[in-house]
Amino acid sequence: MTATPAMPVPTRPGRTARVPLAAAGRLLRLELRRNVMLWLLPIVAALFWLVTYRPAMAYPPLWNVRAMTMQTSASAVFVPTVVGAAAWLGSREARHGMTDLLSGVSRPRWVRQLATWAATTCWALVAYLGCVAALYAVTAQQGAWGGPLWWPAAVGAASLPAFSALGFAAGALRPSRFTAPLVAVAAFLALELTAQFIQGDDSPWQVSPLVAGPWEIGADHGVATFYRYLPDLPIVQLMFLAGLTAALLGVLGLPAGSGGRWVRRFTAGLTTAGVLAAVTATALAGTGRLDPHGMIAIPALHNPANDRPVPYTPVCGDTPIPVCLHPAYASYLPTLTAALEPVLGELAGLPGAPARIDQAAATYRQESGNGVSISSAGPAMRGTPPTLHLLLPFQLARSATTDELTSELRTNTAREILNSVIGGDRRRTTDAQQAVAAAILKTSTLPPGSPTANAAQRFAALPPATRHAWLTRHVAALRAGQLTLAELP
Amino acid sequence: MNVATTDLTRRFGRNVAVAGVTLDAGPGVFGLLGPNGAGKTSLLRMLATVIPPSSGRIRLLGRDPGVYGQRRQIRRRLGYVPQNLGFYPGFTVVEFVEYFALLKELPAAEVHRAVAVAVERVGLGDKATAKLRTLSGGMLRRVGIAQAIVNEPELLLLDEPTAGLDPAQRVAFRALLRDLGQQATVIVSTHLVEDVGAACTQVALMDQGKIVFHGTPDELVARGAGTTAAGDAPLERGYSAVLAEAGS
Repeated sequence: MTATPAMPVPTRPGRTARVPLAAAGRLLRLELRRNVMLWLLPIVAALFWLVTYRPAMAYPPLWNVRAMTMQTSASAVFVPTVVGAAAWLGSREARHGMTDLLSGVSRPRWVRQLATWAATTCWALVAYLGCVAALYAVTAQQGAWGGPLWWPAAVGAASLPAFSALGFAAGALRPSRFTAPLVAVAAFLALELTAQFIQGDDSPWQVSPLVAGPWEIGADHGVATFYRYLPDLPIVQLMFLAGLTAALLGVLGLPAGSGGRWVRRFTAGLTTAGVLAAVTATALAGTGRLDPHGMIAIPALHNPANDRPVPYTPVCGDTPIPVCLHPAYASYLPTLTAALEPVLGELAGLPGAPARIDQAAATYRQESGNGVSISSAGPAMRGTPPTLHLLLPFQLARSATTDELTSELRTNTAREILNSVIGGDRRRTTDAQQAVAAAILKTSTLPPGSPTANAAQRFAALPPATRHAWLTRHVAALRAGQLTLAELP
Repeated sequence: MNVATTDLTRRFGRNVAVAGVTLDAGPGVFGLLGPNGAGKTSLLRMLATVIPPSSGRIRLLGRDPGVYGQRRQIRRRLGYVPQNLGFYPGFTVVEFVEYFALLKELPAAEVHRAVAVAVERVGLGDKATAKLRTLSGGMLRRVGIAQAIVNEPELLLLDEPTAGLDPAQRVAFRALLRDLGQQATVIVSTHLVEDVGAACTQVALMDQGKIVFHGTPDELVARGAGTTAAGDAPLERGYSAVLAEAGS
């Protein structure tokens, strides 16, 4: 140590912070530089890639599916990490034996804690927004139709300050080296557990930031494409998370020694306002209902303008009967046309055949418990010229590989189109309709050697032009169920 | 007087750590001596506004630390090095001192210069960017002193500040104390009577929570003169003689 009497003793600095924001900025910068969350960023990025990015990329480039998947799965990555880091920093003063030293400084403890919490939250937000940007950039590059959905990203981002405050409060109020891992695990389990309590569309537990839509169908292909992504539930979730953040940060300022009378009054007000906001948001979530377009609507917040369909220009395949899809699903068109072309070639030009096949918007209805029924609105064939409105398999909350999708299209969708022309359905169909359907679909579901199977073989063996000419003459009678097997050529 | 206490008492449960201490201290270096458990640390913690007294009255820098606004004003002008100095191992020397400069509400524009001066004064200029986890115990002690003096305190409270310092560092530290004591009230709690002899203008000796001696180092030496009290140096003999009298 060098005592330096020769060194000019600096003039006494001013005793009040004339530029408190500049000092707060320096404090924040210091905390940012030495924040444990900074060291966790690579781990968070790796976990995001594993848990969120890769599964999301397995889906087609649909903004709705990817954004909603991200909201749910990114929470599993970020929440325990942020809670753990914040708890670790919240308990820092006590773990390092700094309590006495820091009790003698003039800046209120609450302000000091706020700087540490803010730095932790900043790094978490930087990581989260970076991950979201990467996922959205790749989705945009893959030609996803429409624009990014910001509400799911906003809910995910808003959950970080809230869970950071939760972890920090736990660490500060119960300082121990075990607090961070315990709170991180507890937060993760609690978050996952709350989702298990969701029963129906009016469950208050939907306020959980994990929930991006009707919980049971999750990130469904059919929602938020034909109609807008409803902001009702995200608004409630943001309100809840903001309330939770305010309440937890307020709690930090309540103990004696956190600050002066004004600080404690302010934090008491903050806690009260936060609790009120969180409770109100939870109550609002409990008034939700599944709207026909598959989103949760909150009556008190609902804007009817959001119920209008989103205008779009369909993309159509070059098939004898044009098959048109919503542009968001354009990537499915080649699979669809390849699977349906043989059937459409047989049906084109037949009386009663559709002039065009359009993808329909799904209609959702809440069943008991968490059940949701998904169906097409209105009759399948309607309009002039007649258009067949179809729901594709992926709109029915069924995920499938390309091969599975092709198989599903050839069996179910093609049969649905065929039935709309020749009549009959799965429950009520004549032998002649069954034979013609088997011949056109080239399926072998009929008992071998049965009269129906023999008639189907006979009909299938005809040249396509002969088959088409016969169908042109007899399709009305076939649809009406007036033909017998013997009358088939 | 920068420090004025009247009948100051602090209890921890049934244990009375400080028992009715009345003390006045103005600018200069004030040594606080006493055996282990005498109540020195509890007295310093009360003077540092870390813990409130159980009873009695304190005035620090002309203000009442029992009132939040006045306590905050006192803290802006206070430096404190506790006996067990904690630190954040990931911070560098400069960052740690800057952290305290900001927490003591130094104006942001003055922080950089004040930190540089404090770090230089404790002789850690060449270690300014070293992480605290890499420093020796003596260096950490100096970092603690740097954070205490970064705000040019009018009241500086040092609890066992020379523990862990080597002889050369202690000599330099005493010089720093004398320098600081020209303008501020510096209260140093220590076991090492030679530190008191070399640096202090006033000394108090505590035993069982009470001040049993208050005077100059020369007066303490005089109390030991001509006695058979234990000690290798006159000051040590004075110390032992006063304690023996207090215990009898």
